[in-house]
Amino acid sequence: MSSGQSDHIRKAVAERNKRPLANKFMDWIRDNPEGGIFIMFIAAQAAAIIFGLLFPDQFRYLAPANITVVLKSIAPLGIMALGVGILMIAGEFDLSVGALYSFTAIVCATVSNNLLGDVGEAEASSVAPFIGMAVALGVGTLAGIVHAFVTLRFNIPSFITTLGAMLIWKGGTLLYHGARALRFKPTEPFATMFGGEVGVVHASMIWFLIFCVIFYYLLHHHKLGNHFYAVGGNRNAAVAIGIDPARTKYIAFAIAGFMATLSGIVAATRVGSIQPGGGLGMELQSIAACVIGGLALNGGRGSILGILFGTALVFTIQDVLLLLQAPAFYFEMFVGTMIVIAVIMNTAVRRAKA
Amino acid sequence: MASNTEGSSDWLYEARNITKKYGSFTALDSMNFHIAKNEVVGLLGDNGAGKSTLVKMISGINPPTSGDIFVNGKKTEIRTRSDSEAAGIETIYQDIALVDSMSITRNIFMGREITNRFGFMDHKKMEDVAIDILGSAVQISGIDDPRKEVGFLSGGQKQAVAIARAVHFKRNILLLDEPTSALSVRETEHLLKYVGDLKKQGTSSVLVTHNLYHAFMVCDRFVVMSHGTKVFEATKKDTTIEELTDHVIRT
Repeated sequence: MSSGQSDHIRKAVAERNKRPLANKFMDWIRDNPEGGIFIMFIAAQAAAIIFGLLFPDQFRYLAPANITVVLKSIAPLGIMALGVGILMIAGEFDLSVGALYSFTAIVCATVSNNLLGDVGEAEASSVAPFIGMAVALGVGTLAGIVHAFVTLRFNIPSFITTLGAMLIWKGGTLLYHGARALRFKPTEPFATMFGGEVGVVHASMIWFLIFCVIFYYLLHHHKLGNHFYAVGGNRNAAVAIGIDPARTKYIAFAIAGFMATLSGIVAATRVGSIQPGGGLGMELQSIAACVIGGLALNGGRGSILGILFGTALVFTIQDVLLLLQAPAFYFEMFVGTMIVIAVIMNTAVRRAKA
Repeated sequence: MASNTEGSSDWLYEARNITKKYGSFTALDSMNFHIAKNEVVGLLGDNGAGKSTLVKMISGINPPTSGDIFVNGKKTEIRTRSDSEAAGIETIYQDIALVDSMSITRNIFMGREITNRFGFMDHKKMEDVAIDILGSAVQISGIDDPRKEVGFLSGGQKQAVAIARAVHFKRNILLLDEPTSALSVRETEHLLKYVGDLKKQGTSSVLVTHNLYHAFMVCDRFVVMSHGTKVFEATKKDTTIEELTDHVIRT
């Protein structure tokens, strides 16, 4: 193929690659929704750190105890948001992840406890928690596939399918287990793998980051990720070009179910028990984290970095409000305001570029 | 005419006795259509004549209700986009078929990513090829960044990306469904010339258009459709623009 005609493009691309790093970074911030979130996250961190240094006694942001708590509590929502976000990019919702989070955690704990996986047992089994986890992840993934089947087979909005599924899983949890809390104190090495700490960093945080890396490569560098964007961005175009949207969406739903389960198990390991209603509300929080991180509600747009920053920003604000001893409803009001502002900002950025 | 199980081996593609029904509505009615080697076919007709239905059928995303399809004389089932891709057919759709939220490069390689054997994409190589074909297929005014999101392009630029993509992947047949509707005069000129060049290189095209002058510039044969069937067919030397216009309007 002759490339003489493409010289002007090559030149322009080379020019852009020669920009100083600072300019590239500024352009990145301007051109990507997660750029704005990154700035907001840094600003929030900087403000919190400055106040933490100025008033170390009143505002204990930098106290080791606070840092430990933050690094412990981000992961469950973050892990769930990764799955929800990938599904959102593929153009579908899952409102049932919060209910599934509780249901599958109870499945995991029940299987594990029945196989003597509780640390208090006389002859405790070290594999039982892993078996419980495998069964639960299977159930969660299967649940995602069922959500996909109902949505795609009957061609109905996933909002409706998973709204129904949310109530079904919630009721199913009570039917299967009842309303009481369930003890989950797994044996080693499970307890350390999912509940241990490296310095101040909790194991759950490490799992969250590992999955961020895995999904970063899947979404941004694997062809399957490209198909998520294509199917979510313009389903008809994807069909016309030969991508099977059903197959792509099945995978995305399955990932959402898998991650909701993992999130539930990680949280249960940290707390040591499971409240049957514990995950309710998390589905909306994870969608909120994704939207704040720049994911488009109607699909085709977003990044792993956005999900990470979105989740981190939500938690930074929650932590700051806790340290200021603000009542809990302040947090919800804050997140609510932030969602709206984030979407306004992203829309404005898009309009300015077009 | 060839027998029932074999098509003419001079024809790249033949659709015989094709009917397409949507419920009780018949969009294509016992239609016969073929594409020979080294030719450009002009597919003409007024709105609702069934031109786009035929194009979508040839490209596999809208399989026929009944009838036979022959590729290179061999009876072939074309019921999905993968089937038509295997037959070497590429399409430029009227409604463009690009994803606005993805970059130009990603749009060009959508569904046909250049990957290693684990499925991970080779971004560098894809961008290189994208730059090549953006420059050579159509001189695209103002596109100088293959990483730009397609949503930020003008209508003509989008059309040009769709054309560049189809031209790059085509092997035997290129279907162009109203490709010039969003192009400037200069871009249109360039595209029509390019269709002629492709013919010399052995790729046949089907040009669907309302513009009979464009059709007359590049096409070797004309097929006029009305109400889902063929009402007139002639080679360029046997007809005139006036006669074609007459058939399009009258039927």
